[in-house]
Amino acid sequence: MSATTIPDYGTLGERAAAGLRPKALSDEQKVAKAKEAFLAGMTADMATYLESCIHCGMCAEACHFYIATGDAKYTPIFKVEPLKKVYRRELAPLRAFNRFVSRDITVEDLAEWKELAYDSCTQCGRCSLLCPMGIHIQSMIQVVRNGLSAAGMAPAELQAVADEQKDKGSILGAGADKLREVVERVRAKGIEVPLDKDKADVLVLSSALDFLKDETILAATAKVMNKLGVNWTIRSDGYESANFGALSGDRVAQKRISKRVIDAAIAAGAKKVIVAECGHAYPVLRWEAATLYGKELPFEFLSVAEYLGQELKAGRLKVKKAGNGASHVTFHDPCKLGRMGGSFDEARDVLRALGVKLTEMESHGRTNLCCGGGGGVAMLKSALPLRQKAFELKREEVERTGAPTVVTACNTCMQNLETGKAWLNWDKDIVNLVQLVSDNLA
Amino acid sequence: MNEGLYLEGMSLLDFARGPALRWAVIIFVIGIVWRLTALLLASRKQLEPTKGSATSGGIKTLLTRSAPAHELEKNIVFQHYSGYAWHIGMFVVLLFFAPHMLFFKDILGFGWPTLPNLFITFFSVVTVGILLVLLARRLMNPVLRQISTLDDYISWLIAFLPFLTGLMAFTHITFGMRYETVLALHFLSVCLLLVWFPFGKLMHAIFIWPSRYKVGAAFARRGVRA
Repeated sequence: MSATTIPDYGTLGERAAAGLRPKALSDEQKVAKAKEAFLAGMTADMATYLESCIHCGMCAEACHFYIATGDAKYTPIFKVEPLKKVYRRELAPLRAFNRFVSRDITVEDLAEWKELAYDSCTQCGRCSLLCPMGIHIQSMIQVVRNGLSAAGMAPAELQAVADEQKDKGSILGAGADKLREVVERVRAKGIEVPLDKDKADVLVLSSALDFLKDETILAATAKVMNKLGVNWTIRSDGYESANFGALSGDRVAQKRISKRVIDAAIAAGAKKVIVAECGHAYPVLRWEAATLYGKELPFEFLSVAEYLGQELKAGRLKVKKAGNGASHVTFHDPCKLGRMGGSFDEARDVLRALGVKLTEMESHGRTNLCCGGGGGVAMLKSALPLRQKAFELKREEVERTGAPTVVTACNTCMQNLETGKAWLNWDKDIVNLVQLVSDNLA
Repeated sequence: MNEGLYLEGMSLLDFARGPALRWAVIIFVIGIVWRLTALLLASRKQLEPTKGSATSGGIKTLLTRSAPAHELEKNIVFQHYSGYAWHIGMFVVLLFFAPHMLFFKDILGFGWPTLPNLFITFFSVVTVGILLVLLARRLMNPVLRQISTLDDYISWLIAFLPFLTGLMAFTHITFGMRYETVLALHFLSVCLLLVWFPFGKLMHAIFIWPSRYKVGAAFARRGVRA
């Protein structure tokens, strides 16, 4: 089976980082900006979580980065320590006392926590399922990222793309022009792509991360959509699934980027918006976009896997028994679709319809182990050694299934599994769901 | 016998189980109410359509979080069961030691069956043992050491003292102090616990419920069982 067509995220990250325009902030300003963002994120939920922690350290045992390294600093709750410190001194009921016995956060603290909030957290949410007190650590990490981004201390790889995407709508220079060019290439293959239709029932999103290298994923998606016979479109004014505002922690960018998609969907009169197989994109659009937009939306967001599952159930999607080597597979649940998104069954229903033997990994479904590349981590050069260690856990679980093929429904997972494959000289095939379906349409 | 010391011991006991305990209970209640109210900030309304009921997910998680999924639990067997053992031991001693029951009966007006002293001794010793092991673990385990605060150690001591003084009174190993003095210290250690409770980590006994509810609701909204 063919290797991935997704570009190497690490290389993309390096390219992006070179283009960062740093914010000119003094150390005092950095600390002030970070604290301001921390306090803005301190909702009642957050305060409850911060108050509840009994410092038991159990969360460490859910984290792939801690399990893989045994290094105490990767304890999930420790990754939000700056937030805890600010809470204790600024908002906690005993703040007067706490101010007396603790010191304020410094720019050195923030610099130290950059590694912990970005490189060593994929925001997979597994720790939030283990904590005996019920602390949603994943959501607190996002507030730490908000603070670091506000202080201009987010990783260059992510902040540079967030800035570009916020201002121009493109990712690494790939914007609407690049999309048009890729669409032409798909059309040249004899696959129709309805670009920029005025009105359509279904708006399909893509991502520059998918089509920077070639048109394979867009072609596969278009083939499936055409076969379903729905009135669909891709719009050059709102096609990007990825949201580097969310990944970098830049809240302003996150809001503006998701608004583009919302505006395009409303303009097209779409009832459904299909988010490309892009991990973080799904929860960011499905679970955060309307709230940031400030209004309920007149359409629904679906991941590709969810949409395929629904169409299959409704009898509109027809597939044949998968050939091409994919007879025995294991399914890697993308954290952002599964644990953070609530979509587990749809992909499995599709695999069942394809007639493949599915062997589950020990950690699957809601307790799935992250591949180690989510939350922007795959793009961070500094995170590479850590990512390789964490990947070992995934590899072991995959190996134990005995399946020669790993199917997933997220291109970050896909890219990370492919990279892992290269590191380890691994003999597994990595396939994304939409490709598998597109190859086996009945 | 030194009459002065005797009187002093009695008056300390009277103070301990009289005004000290009364004030401790008042601070305990007001403190809890205050800290809970401090959290009643407006929750942010979320506008996305849900995949499941946040409320029922929240309520379910209050209980289901007591036993994590196997894939997650296998790494935390020691913490998990030592935590259970400590809490169960504490409640057994607190509620089923005959003098404790009689003390509550005085206040509540009704009593309940109690356990023979042999059982209570067993539970107390085991519970104190677990507390000591947990403290050692906190001091030695790198994960715990880096996230521990002063509160963790204060709270440990405050939870330990009632057991220590209780065992001293129960076994009459009083290190030369009068029995009444030890009993008074036992009461005072409980007063200290009640006063510290709302302000430190002991408050987790209350916070665990809103926290579990919120995490359960956050996941349930997305259609995930937490």
